[in-house]
Amino acid sequence: LFFTTHATGKRYGPPEKPALTRCRSPEKETFTCWWEPGSDGGLPTTHALYYRKESSETVYECPDYHTAGENSCFFNKNDTSIWVNYNITVVATNALGRAFSDPVDIDVVYIVKPNPPEKLMVTVMEDKGWPFLRVSWEPPHKADTRSGWITLIYELRVKLEEENDWEMHLAGQQKMFNIFSLRSGGKYLVEVRCKPDHGFWSEWSSTSYIKVPDYFHREKSVWIL
Amino acid sequence: CTNGQTGCHVLSLANLFDRVIQHSARMHGISSDLHSEFEQYFLPSKNQIGRVGRSCHTSTILTPNGKENAQRMAREELTEVILKLLVAWRDPLWHFHQSMAHHHDFNNFSSNKALEMNDMVHELRKGVEKVAEKMQVLGIISNSVSSLASPEVSLSSDSADKRLMKDYDLLYCFRRDSNKVQNYLKILKCRIVPDHGC
Repeated sequence: LFFTTHATGKRYGPPEKPALTRCRSPEKETFTCWWEPGSDGGLPTTHALYYRKESSETVYECPDYHTAGENSCFFNKNDTSIWVNYNITVVATNALGRAFSDPVDIDVVYIVKPNPPEKLMVTVMEDKGWPFLRVSWEPPHKADTRSGWITLIYELRVKLEEENDWEMHLAGQQKMFNIFSLRSGGKYLVEVRCKPDHGFWSEWSSTSYIKVPDYFHREKSVWIL
Repeated sequence: CTNGQTGCHVLSLANLFDRVIQHSARMHGISSDLHSEFEQYFLPSKNQIGRVGRSCHTSTILTPNGKENAQRMAREELTEVILKLLVAWRDPLWHFHQSMAHHHDFNNFSSNKALEMNDMVHELRKGVEKVAEKMQVLGIISNSVSSLASPEVSLSSDSADKRLMKDYDLLYCFRRDSNKVQNYLKILKCRIVPDHGC
């Protein structure tokens, strides 16, 4: 059903169907879902998110549209249960009608994507006259790894400034990693990311730059002597 | 391992915890694999599956569904929840393995996985019982873990219902419960031996 105004020829109509695009929990304790609105049919259109939890008939509206920004719904600790399915739908409404998104079923356990690790530190150490890089970091502060609620594994990537390819290293649950076989005088870039048992890799952390001292010349001169 | 035997060293509580946690992680891994295999198999009617009001036979076991709830539980209670879940899966997994073995649509691979899960849930229960006994001996928990005394009685015997639970739903439920077990074990470990990798 469309109405046309004489002056502009602009067509008005009910809103198009919105799409739930993503749900993510950074720490298995809260989560956020985002949607993309369809066309508004030329009229002021509002969006509302509704959810129903597994084995309950009650439908609730999104508890918080503001915390996570535009077109999003944030579920705080009290609104988040895990091992429980949430059936989520977004409804677009304007003066001429309503449109429902396709519903999405999520269990918070399986949508965990942590924030990147923090306080990345890289230092040059020495072992029997040969330098190596000691890389250390901390888990994202939001993820409560100390209590055992979430377990993270880490991956590092390292590359020489002028090179294109990263060298990857899986560190397991350790929060420290040593990198050997360095190029003398080389400037290295180091980044780290983390992943929970059954979730997704975080984004890479901020880059740490480090210059390896010119140890080759020293070695060489010793050799000549 | 009786006392005083040579070459028989007693594992620390932290080591025991690590073993059962590793075991539970493997068990959850297998159930996830098998679940995704089924998901592919059922893909044409996937939406329909999503709509079915799935109810797990273990839904009568009250389990904490958030970090703070799990932390608030007494150690004894949390241990008991873990054991209850494991005991409750003994029969359904055995039936599941039987049905897989006779199911021509699935390959040996899946059938072996079903058998493996069946065995693992047994072993894990024995492992957790050992951990619980050790905690009792060390005075970390009281002797009130009821599943220890008579592990078979803690589940009401509604086996007809259980058999009716569809294989896909069963896998869905087991994947969830094995994840719970893994998570509760980690919480328990970090409360009791916090200095060991927590």
